[in-house]
Order: sequence, then C-alpha cells, then structure tokens
Amino acid sequence: MPRRVAIVGVGLTRCSSWRRDVLYPELVYEATSAALQDAGVTPNDVDAVVYGSMDPFDGVNAPEKWNVDACAAAGMLSKPYLKISTGGTTGGSTALAAYYHVASGLHDVVLAVASQRVGENLEAQLVLNTAVDPVYERGFGVGAITVAAIQACSHMHAYGTTEEDIALVSVRNHANALNNPYAHLRVKFSVQDALASAMLSWPLRLSDCCPSSDGACAIVFASEERARKLAQQPAWIRGAGQITDNYFTGDRPWYEDWDSLAMLARRVYRLAKIDDPMREFDVAELYNAFTIQEILEYEALGFCEKGKGAELVRQGVTAMDGRLPVCPSGGVLSNNPIGASGLIRVAEAALQVMGKADQRQVPDVKTALAHSWGATIGFHTLMILDQKAP
Amino acid sequence: MSSKVCIVGVGQTHHRGPGGDLAYYEFAFEAARAALEDAGLTKGDIDTVLASGWDVLDGRTISDMHLVPAAGGYLKDSAKVADDGILTFAYGYMRIASGAFDTALVMGHGHAEAPTELVSNVALDPFFYRPLGVGVTSSLALQVCAYAARHGVSEEQAAGVVVKNRRHGVGNPYAHLRSPVTRDEVLASGPIAWPLRELDCRPQSVGAVALILTSEDRAKRISSRWATVEGIAWAAESYYIGASELWRLGGLSVAAQQAYRMAGISDPLAQLDVAELHDITSYHELMAYEALGWAQEGAGGRLLEEGATSMEGRLPVNPSGGALSTNLDAGTGLARVAEAALQVMGRAEGHQVEARTALAHGVSALIGPIAETHGVAILRGNE
Repeated sequence: MPRRVAIVGVGLTRCSSWRRDVLYPELVYEATSAALQDAGVTPNDVDAVVYGSMDPFDGVNAPEKWNVDACAAAGMLSKPYLKISTGGTTGGSTALAAYYHVASGLHDVVLAVASQRVGENLEAQLVLNTAVDPVYERGFGVGAITVAAIQACSHMHAYGTTEEDIALVSVRNHANALNNPYAHLRVKFSVQDALASAMLSWPLRLSDCCPSSDGACAIVFASEERARKLAQQPAWIRGAGQITDNYFTGDRPWYEDWDSLAMLARRVYRLAKIDDPMREFDVAELYNAFTIQEILEYEALGFCEKGKGAELVRQGVTAMDGRLPVCPSGGVLSNNPIGASGLIRVAEAALQVMGKADQRQVPDVKTALAHSWGATIGFHTLMILDQKAP
Repeated sequence: MSSKVCIVGVGQTHHRGPGGDLAYYEFAFEAARAALEDAGLTKGDIDTVLASGWDVLDGRTISDMHLVPAAGGYLKDSAKVADDGILTFAYGYMRIASGAFDTALVMGHGHAEAPTELVSNVALDPFFYRPLGVGVTSSLALQVCAYAARHGVSEEQAAGVVVKNRRHGVGNPYAHLRSPVTRDEVLASGPIAWPLRELDCRPQSVGAVALILTSEDRAKRISSRWATVEGIAWAAESYYIGASELWRLGGLSVAAQQAYRMAGISDPLAQLDVAELHDITSYHELMAYEALGWAQEGAGGRLLEEGATSMEGRLPVNPSGGALSTNLDAGTGLARVAEAALQVMGRAEGHQVEARTALAHGVSALIGPIAETHGVAILRGNE
C-alpha cells in the first residue's frame, strides 16, 4: 500500500494562442511561483521537481533545460529533476510521477510542472503526424483531429449521436470557460453558431476542436505529515493510473467505444473503491480535446451505459447545475497547451476539492476525477482526488 | 518503505553503429525479451514499463507509443522519462518502492535519427545561447577547457582514459567498439572541439538495454541472484553556464553525497568494488572521480595514472568499456546501471571483476553541462 499523498498547492498561468509578453522561463515561473505561494512553501522546502512537456510541439527542444532555474531545481539548490513526455497525457503522467516520488518515501514535497508553447508551432497536427509510422500510416494524415473524426463517425453510426449533440458539448464547455480567468478561449456562442462554424474534418467543426495554446501549470504534492501542516483542506490522491493501448491506428477497429479508458477506469476505481462513479464523483475534469471525445469518455468512465453519452449532454446532467458537472474550467476545448493540459485537469480537480475554484467552483465537492488522453488516442491517465485521506 | 528494490533481470542488444535495417522499437523488443528471459519471467509478470529518451533525438514524436508495446507494455501502466536512462531507473525504483507495482521493466535505447549537435543547439534559448552556435560537444569542450586549464590536466592524461576504457570494452561481448587503441592513436586523432579529439568523444551507437526491477520480497521468491539498490539520488545544474563553476561536476557531487548517505558509504574508495561512470568524454571520467570524492579536485588524472581504476586496480571503472565504447544516448546511464548490476550479480561475462558493491552514474547531458542532471545508484549483490 503506497503511503498517502496529497496536493497542497496549485499554480496556473493565463493562456493564449501566443504568450508573446513572456520568455519561456518567465511563463514557467508564473506557474511555479503561484503554486509555491498557494502551498505556502519556499523553493528550499521542495525536495524534487518533475517537469512535463511534449518537446516537438515547442519552438525549443527539451525546454526543461532552459526552464530548470524557473522551477527552482538548479543552481545552489541542485534538486532532483526529472522530465516526462507521453504525448497528450504528458501532464497526467507528470502528476503520476510526482505522486510516486512522494509515495515511494524518497521525497516529501514535490513540485510537478508542465508547459507548452504551441504558439511557437506552425501546425501541431503536422507535428503529431510524425508520431505515426512513416511507412504505413503517416501518408494517411493520421493525427489527433483525424482520429477524433473517426471516433465521431463511428459513434454517430453506432449510437445515433448527432452533430447537434456535439455542438451542445462545445457550447456548454465554452460557457463554463467564461468563469475561468485562466482559460484561453472565453467566448459565448449558441448551438446555431457552433453548427455554422467551419468544417475541419467531417463531422468535426471548428467549434468541436481545442485551440492551440501557450501556457503552464504547477502543482505541489506532499506526504501525509507535510500535507496536514501545509493545507487546511488538501486534495488527497485516492487512486491513479495509466494505460497504454497498441500503436497502429488501424489495429483498433472499435472506434465508437474507448475500451482502453474503460479498462483503466475499472482498475483505478477498484484501487479507489469507487462502485458507482455517477453517484460518487462530484465533478470531473475530462480531456475533451474534441467534443465527441467527452461523450465517449462518459461511457468509458461508467457515467452511463455504452451509447448513452449524448443523452447526458441533452439532459444537462454534466452541466454546472447538473448531477455531475464535467469541466467547470471549460476543459481542453477552451484551452490546450498540449503537454500541460493533463496537469491542468488535475489542478482544476484539486481546486474543486480544496474549495478554491472561485467562480467555477461546484458546491460541496468531496471527490473529483481528472483524466487525460494522449498519443493517437492510445494513452490515458486517471487520478481521483478526495477531501478525505484514503 | 517495506522492502528494498532489486534488479532481477538484465537484457541488452549487441550494440552497433548506425545504419542497419531494424527500427528502434525492434531493439527495445530484443532487449526487453532478453531481460525477461534473464529474470525467468514472462511479459505477463510485468506491471509497468518505463521508456527513456527525447523525442527530438529519436526523430519521432511520442516515441514511447512504439517503444512501450514493443517491450511488453501493451495495456499496462507506462511512462517515458525524457531524460537519461538513469533517471528512468530512478522512476522505476520509486514505482516499486511505493508498493503500487510489483515488477517493472525499465528500458533505454540509442538510435539517434537526428544530428545531435543541431538538436542540442535548438534546445538552447533563441536569444542568447543559440546564436553562439554551441551544441552538446562544443559545450562539453568549454567545460573541459575550464577543467584542464584550472588543474593543468594534460591531453596525455585524458588519452589514458580512452586507452583504458577501449581496452576494457574488448572484453564486453555487447560493446559497440571492441578494438583497443593506443595513446598515440588518441593523440593523433582528429580535432573535434578543442581540446577534444575524435577518440576523446563517445561514438554513436544503436541498441537498447532493459532491466527488471522488483521488491526484495519478490526477488527472494523468484530468483537466486539479484542486485539490491542501496542508494539512489539525482541532482540538476543550472542552465546559465556562464555563472557555473564549469571545472567541477557540482550536480554529481550532490547526488553522490546523498546516495552514499543512503547506502551507508563513508569511504567510497574503500567501500566500492567497481564503478560504471558516464564518460561522456575522456576528461569527464577524471572530473567524475573528483566529484565522487575519490580524489582531490584536479587529482583525477593521478588516480588514473596509478592504475587504480583499471581492471586490475583497487576500484575498476567501466569494465564494460563505458560510453567511449558504446553510446546509447539517453540509454547510456541505464546501461551503466545494467553493467553495475551484472558485476555485483557475478554475471559480467568476459569483463567480470571481484565485486559486491557497485556504483553507477548517468548524466542527462542533452546540451552538455547546460542544465545537466547527474544520477547515482549504488547496488549490492545478494551473495
């Protein structure tokens, strides 16, 4: 049984399509200094730092090098510093790494940092295309949006989900983002506006897709002893995990269901003793880079039966005033600094549990779920946070 | 922590030069399979798989997409440490030590498809450092200049490291370069970045290495021979090399002191039986002797000249031939851990020394001394 670990501080940056006002280390410092301040610790109190980014999406290779001093890991401090890259799950994997740093007993206070400057990138989809096999799949243009479009086609075909359903997901997330000062896109629009936006990869329109963002996030993880002293209400890690699906896109024929996520959810729910996710979660921060994915995630995570995800959207179950609000932050649809987005999900879930989510706070949150997906939809991470220590 | 963390299996490919017709994940498959066979396990026994390396060196975005399934990680909990493999080893250690996983496979590979000097130059900020044109080798050379000038280290002393490690590498059936070189050959080899010559620098190798980690309780049940991790630590250095003391490996000193303390080592020269160091250049092995507390600052060369660190010496360093014989890029630090484990398990065929306690060192030096991270692991055999 791993020792108990909690989140005691969170730092977010303002995000935009290009944070021209700051150098990269300044952007990272914006997040790290805010997290340390939120946790009430100084750089000297931090035992180790974990850094996450997806290098090929940045204009600088291995940005953890340039940013090591902004994480207070180097110089006279000479701290343990370790870098994680796992595609879109990078932020989720970074949170997991920080968790194991503390759970192992090797470190007591650990700073998780993730960043991305997609604004330095000409086109993220071209970069992602270089992830897939150069012989068999690259020429087909496989990337995030094309794979998500296959998910959408399959789900619509198998379960009758409509373009209006996915437009509703977009409208709800963007309305939520209006309450989040850290979101990149903060625009109000209607279902009609969404359906009138440009078609990018059928049936996904502009309104169904995440933006490309510059931003960073930092979280302070602490051991039980330190957490109880540092935070009035820590966000305890109740369960966490990752899953790795196969590599070739063509080897995964069932795109209407997200079986790898369902499998991971079963494992993590068993660890966390979650029997009825719809009843036991008070809020969920899901990695909804594309509207259709939020619907598949509901089903894989057991919020509803297979094929019934769109009904939750139509009935408003996942709206701010619904039974299980999803993405009060506006989600990845409103803000996507790729390598940081998974860590932002964990940060937003932690803020909800700690009661510090300000305008976007859901009342009486006791238990929250944070998710991320990565690679060409082959990776997932989950982390369950709770007001009570496990 | 209820139980110590142990290495119960080591697998590696027969490392070679660039070219050939294998994809990098095929090397990962070969090494993972060898490690499983070595441990007497099957892939079903592995809970978690951790890969190493920077995508920008692999020339492949999200390289763990291919590496992890190739190493038996399909539908398992995985991650990639985009750093030197000794840090992947550290993460594997933490995953097992937490009690959340029983058995981990940790791997590192070398298969640079991108030119390392260009990749490392583009890892620098575009305003101050990048226009200077420095990359990994030229920044290492700056460090070597500072070290050699401060302590009067000669090219002949550095050449002695190359002669030693290349001689050792002849005995390692997995090494890439398995031919000895003479001091004269080193000194006559072409200049790369002053004072570094071609043979002072590591080659470019392809191949992979994999380790199986488990708890001591499980090791006792499934194995008769294993290596226990007695100490582990790692430490980062600043990005701003203009403000650094370039002539010493500060991060290595910090990591070594922490690892020694954890392992109960007060007199490393007496208590260690063998060491595998990340000799990213010949001079860096001498600097490492000093940072590890085996010699006074500037006296690393004398330790070498006394023969203390050759196969027959009191503390053999790099019986495997080190990075000067095989450079797997981000896999190199993990290869050092693998070799240290083989030594204390008594299974370093062709290059075995008498060893119960070993030290392994790896450095995350994508851009040389610029924001490098040093890792140190101390292993002990169970017999």
